[in-house]
Amino acid sequence: MEKTGAEILLQTLEEEGVEIIFGYPGANTLPVNDGLLTNPIRHYLMRHEQAAAHAADGYARVTGKVGVCLSTSGPGATNLVTGIATAFMDSTPLIALTGQVPTSFLGSDAFQETDVIGITMPITKHSFLVRNEKDMRSTIKQAFELAKSGRPGPVLVDLPKDVLAAKCRDREERDIRPPMKQNNGIKKDHEQLEKIAMALNRAERPVIIIGGGVKLGNACIEMTELVEKGQIPFVSTMMGIGSVHTSNGYNLGFIGTHGFEAANRITHQSDFILAAGTRFSDRSTSDVDEFAPLATIAQIDIDPTSIGKNIKTDIPLIGEIREILTNLLPLVKKKSRTGWLNRIHTEKQNLEREIPFNGCGQPGRFIGMVQEAMPEATTAVTDVGLNQIWTVRSWKTRIPRGLVTSGGLGTMGFSLPAAIGAKTGTPDREVVAFAGDGGFYMNIQELATINYYKIPVKIVVFNNGHLGMLRQMQDLFYGSRFSNIELGNGVDMVAVARGFGISADRISVEKPEAGIEQMSKTDGPYLLEVMVDPEDYVFPIIPPGRSNMEMIYGKSD
Amino acid sequence: MNGEKHIISILVSNKPGVLSRVSGVFGRLGYNIKSLCVAETADPEISRITLVSRANFDFTEKTKKQLDKLVDVIEVTELMSSESIERELVLIGINMDEEQKPEITRAIDMFGCSIIFMKSNYCILEVVGDKDKTETVINYLKPLGIKEINRTGIIAL
Repeated sequence: MEKTGAEILLQTLEEEGVEIIFGYPGANTLPVNDGLLTNPIRHYLMRHEQAAAHAADGYARVTGKVGVCLSTSGPGATNLVTGIATAFMDSTPLIALTGQVPTSFLGSDAFQETDVIGITMPITKHSFLVRNEKDMRSTIKQAFELAKSGRPGPVLVDLPKDVLAAKCRDREERDIRPPMKQNNGIKKDHEQLEKIAMALNRAERPVIIIGGGVKLGNACIEMTELVEKGQIPFVSTMMGIGSVHTSNGYNLGFIGTHGFEAANRITHQSDFILAAGTRFSDRSTSDVDEFAPLATIAQIDIDPTSIGKNIKTDIPLIGEIREILTNLLPLVKKKSRTGWLNRIHTEKQNLEREIPFNGCGQPGRFIGMVQEAMPEATTAVTDVGLNQIWTVRSWKTRIPRGLVTSGGLGTMGFSLPAAIGAKTGTPDREVVAFAGDGGFYMNIQELATINYYKIPVKIVVFNNGHLGMLRQMQDLFYGSRFSNIELGNGVDMVAVARGFGISADRISVEKPEAGIEQMSKTDGPYLLEVMVDPEDYVFPIIPPGRSNMEMIYGKSD
Repeated sequence: MNGEKHIISILVSNKPGVLSRVSGVFGRLGYNIKSLCVAETADPEISRITLVSRANFDFTEKTKKQLDKLVDVIEVTELMSSESIERELVLIGINMDEEQKPEITRAIDMFGCSIIFMKSNYCILEVVGDKDKTETVINYLKPLGIKEINRTGIIAL
C-alpha cells in the first residue's frame, strides 16, 4: 500500500486520538488539506494562525488531550509563535504542525520560507524537521509522546511540501528513536517522601500550595483527599485554581501579586509549606526574600529544573504528582490544629473588607451573577488584565478544568480563540469568555469563525474604553500620568458583533440582569458588551518588587 | 569573567541542530562558553561535546538540569581536573628568521612541539598538551611575535 507523507501524517494523528485540528492553510500545506477531505479529523479554519494555536491550547486545557494546530510556512508559522509561547509558559501539551518549503529550497530564502525551528527553539519542548516521508509516522508519534510526557509542552513539527507529497510504501517506514538517556525514568524516592510526611505531621501551621501541575498531572482527587484527611489549609497559584473546588472549606484563595489577602497572610505565617506542581513564579511569590520566612518548604514537581529555581527548597521530591500523593496519603496523620484553623477562620472573615465582591467591585458582582445564570457545567475562559483578575477572583470553579487563563505569558487576545477550542473540546459544557476591550480586539476576527461554525460560546467584553490594568498601574505608581492606554469608545461593538452575525447587546455593569438573562437563554453564540467605569480597578494588589505582605487597597495607601 | 573553570562533557545525538540547542542553554543562562569541541564518538549516532565555561556557584547544577531536559542530550558529566585527562591542540604560526631561530628551536626541544609547516622564514608549530603546557608555550613564544594561532579548546576523558 502506498501513501503520501500527508496521508501518513493524518493517519498517525488519528491513531494518536486526534479528532480536531485548528488551522489555516497555505501553499505548503496543500497536500495535508487535500488529505483531510478523506479523513475523519475535523479541521476548523480559524481567521488567524495565532488564533489556531490559542484554540488548540484551550482545547488541550479543558480536555487534557494534546491540542493540534496547523499552519503553512513563512508568515503562517511566525503567526503561531505567540500561541506556542503561551502554551510553553503554562505547560500545555500542544503539537504545532507547520508547512515548510520543499527540502531542496531550504536555506535559499524561498517564498514563504522561515526557519521556524530556529525561531521557536526557546519556546518549544522540542522540534522536528521531517526530511523524509519514511520518518513521518515515527516522528509524529515521538512528538506526541514528548508533548504529553513529564512536564507537558508544545512540540513543533516542520513539514516540507515535497515530503508531504512523496509516496511511501508501508514496509519502507522507518523507526527513528533517539539513543536512550542514561538516567531514564524518575527514581522513586520513598525516603524523601517520608521526610515530607514527617515534616507535615509535625507542623503546627502547615499550608499546601497547589500549582498548575496538580491539574496537569490529573491529581485533583488525590489532592482533595490529602487536604481533607490532613485537615490542611491550602492556597493556589493562579494556574492551580479549581484543582480542589474553590468552595472547599480549607481554601484560602490564590496567592501572589493579585492574590487574596488571607492567602498571602496565612502563607506568610506558615511553618511548613507543601508546594505541589508549582514553579514559584514571581507572580505568586512577589519578593522572594520575604516569601514565607518562617516555613520549611517541601516541593514536589515532575520537572527537576523547577525545584529550587526561585525559592530555596528544603525537601525536594521529583516525581509524578498523582503517584506521590497516593503514596503520601497513608503516611499523613490527622492532627487537630485548632489554633491554626481558628486563625485562618479569622483571616477569612477579613476577606470581606471595605471593597466588596472580593475586591472586584461591580465587575465582581456581575461575574457572580453570570455564574448564577449559567449551568454548573460552565467553563470560564479569561483574557488578560483587569478582566482576568476579576474573573479568577470571582468565578467559583466547581468542575475539573473549569477555568482557563493565560497565567505564564499573560497573552492578550487569548480568550476568544481559547473559548472556541474549549467549546469544541467539551461541547456538552457551556463556555463563557471574559475579556476586556483591549484583548477582545486582538483576535476579534474569530467572531467570523464562531459565526461560520455556529459555535455557541458566550462572550463577555468589559468595556472601559482603556487598557484597564495599565491604567490602574499608571494611576497608582506613575502619579496618574496616563500614557497610551486610552482605546476610546468610538466603536459600536454591538454593531460590529451583529455585523459578524453574532447576537449582541450592550448593558451597564450596574444593571446587568436583563442582559445576563438574555445571554444565558440564547442558544447560539452571544456577545454581551458590559460598560464599566475606567476607575473600577481591582484590590488588593502588590506593587512591583514588594513582598506578598505589602498589599495596597486603594490609591491612598 | 570571574569564577571557576568548569569542563562539561555532553553526549548527544549526532543530528543537525543539537549543538544549537546545547549552546542555547548556556546563552539563556548567561554563561559564556570559553571553548567548545565536538566530534563523533565510536558510535556514529552519538557525538561528544566538550565545553569549557567560567562561572560562579550553581553552574553545574543549573546547566546539568537544563541540559538533561533536552531530548537529544544523553548524558552530562562535569569533568573534575583531578579525575580526568585534558588535552588541547594548538597551531602557532611564527616567523623563523635567523634571529629567532635559536629561541624557537629551544622551545621545540623544551616543550616537545613539532614543526609541521615551513616555507621561507615562516613556520607553523603544533603543540599538544594540557592547559598548563599549551599556555606556557604560547606565553613563551608571544614575545617572538606569533603571527596566527588556532586552538581546539580542551577535550577530556
